Amino acid sequence: MVLLMLIGLPASLWCWRHLSLPHRYPPATKLITLTATADGGIWTQDPIVGYNYWWRRPNRTEQVILNQGEHVVVRVRSADLLHSFAIPILRIGPLDVPAGHTLEVEFDAKRPGVLTFLCWQVCSPEHGRLHGRFVVKGDATEEGW
Amino acid sequence: MATANQTIPSFVPVETLAKPWRKDVFACWPWLKRLVKMRSFQFLVILPNLFLFYLFLIAGVFGTPVGNRNIIIVFVWILWWFVLIAAMVPFGSRLWCTMCPLPFFGDWLQRGAVIGVRPGKSAGTENTFFGAWRRWPKQLSNIWLQNFGFLFLATFSALLVTRPIVSALVFGVLILLAAGLAVVFRLRTFCNYVCPISGFLSLYSMTSTVELRSTDKDVCLKCKYKSCIRGSDKGWACPWNVYMGKLDRNNYCGLCFECVKSCPHDNISLFLRPFATSDVGLRGYDEVWKASIMLVLAFTYSVVLLGPWGRLKDWANVSEVHNWRGFGLFAAGQALLALVVFPGLYYLSVRLAKWYARADSISTKELFLKYAYMLVPMGLLAWIAFSVPLIMVNGSYIISVASDPLGWGMNLFHSSEFAWAPLYPASVPFIQVPILLAGLYYGLRGLHKVGSGLFPDPQQLYRSMTPPAVLLLGTTLVFMKLFIG
Repeated sequence: MVLLMLIGLPASLWCWRHLSLPHRYPPATKLITLTATADGGIWTQDPIVGYNYWWRRPNRTEQVILNQGEHVVVRVRSADLLHSFAIPILRIGPLDVPAGHTLEVEFDAKRPGVLTFLCWQVCSPEHGRLHGRFVVKGDATEEGW
Repeated sequence: MATANQTIPSFVPVETLAKPWRKDVFACWPWLKRLVKMRSFQFLVILPNLFLFYLFLIAGVFGTPVGNRNIIIVFVWILWWFVLIAAMVPFGSRLWCTMCPLPFFGDWLQRGAVIGVRPGKSAGTENTFFGAWRRWPKQLSNIWLQNFGFLFLATFSALLVTRPIVSALVFGVLILLAAGLAVVFRLRTFCNYVCPISGFLSLYSMTSTVELRSTDKDVCLKCKYKSCIRGSDKGWACPWNVYMGKLDRNNYCGLCFECVKSCPHDNISLFLRPFATSDVGLRGYDEVWKASIMLVLAFTYSVVLLGPWGRLKDWANVSEVHNWRGFGLFAAGQALLALVVFPGLYYLSVRLAKWYARADSISTKELFLKYAYMLVPMGLLAWIAFSVPLIMVNGSYIISVASDPLGWGMNLFHSSEFAWAPLYPASVPFIQVPILLAGLYYGLRGLHKVGSGLFPDPQQLYRSMTPPAVLLLGTTLVFMKLFIG
């Protein structure tokens, strides 16, 4: 019973994260997790969790490549304090992202182009660096955003 | 009851004097006795905690670093801490030790069994144990390690209670230490001498309204088998190395109920008793310093976590502020207060008591040890008063975290976005003050009870009580000032 628990608990958490969560969304949905950290002013796709929070600076996500026509779900998280998420060109946000909370934003990458995302409120001294972009690739003849 | 004009020999332990009312719980509820006599009882109560503990460790390492969204912080330092200090200890003695998952793997390795008993011969017992089975050094057979361990952890409390990874590391180390010590040393060495939680449980369980004792001490004295401490084919030798025939305080009984299972005379029972009136004697400097450390920590926690002094908070919160000089000052100040200043004040009050009561027949050491009991109910109730705002102000985090234990964005019970909602925060001081006054009352009552055993003359008794009582009153007033401003 104890061994079953020792194996079963992490296994079920893994299953939730890697099998159950992606199936919440329609097939072919592009699922992106973006986490904001005030230290360094970084948006990252790396998981920021207990074991790496202090001693590893996450990789900065400056751009995320999307394909035209994809349905995109962005899971926005904050690892430390209150941030605010916005994609101004899509008129998404600003949406408060309190520390430890997960917020979901959905959009369709209908046209090729560049969509800037950023932290909308002055969250920390390095707030100015908290921005990145979604680059939607597709048929170049189509009109951009 | 012992009266003031009785002449009582000084070698009589004070706790055997006025033995208060007690009620045999097993006689009233035989089903409870049947339950604890089941071999699987302890395993069944540990198992859910082991599951939660494992989840906490996973959450600490792989969950969000944000404390109020991580189950290890919210469930351990808000829910568990409050239930432990405000309910389990005062009303259940060391009931937590019955269900504590920390020594589980150590016991498993040492016994080679989770539920069953192995009859046989390991030195001093009637059971077979595995491992090196060495004796713990006599110099360390006290609670000094626990005292320093708790003080050390408390110094980093701002980190411990806010950073999931720190809590996970501490609990991980404790579980490994428990297992390692169980392989090398006899019985529950970890629980008896090392575990920092066990240290304060031992002290405050003295006040508890329950006790596990022999029904008839004479039966124990005549017993040939001493199965409680030696074990039998029905139960393991007491993991705490306690002989029930001499047990007269809750301090070192971990309520594992092995003695209930193994006693051939069915002579062990659980008793109800009044709060803070039975075990009223501290027996060593380690216990006195434990009482001092706990009281001072209740004070410094209240100052740092509940007080309005931002600079002190910054000093304690070294991981965020990185002010190492301030942290050094905070750590040194706290240690100085707990190890030197408060015990010094108490020593001074005892010297004054001895002088004022002209108590030449009693040594300062004896008075110092015995009167220190007053700090036990005071300390426990000061901790409860400190913990009240924790649960009332931050309790709503429990609801959101239950739905999303790792902060991964789960929503198991559709309550992960339950907003932070303090519960009647304005009423907190009105709850804290009566609790502190109850601490003062039980402290003074304990002082009187101990004093009655030492001083037959009422005038001498009250004179001897005055300086320690003033210290206790002063301590209460300091806490009140802190809580109500």
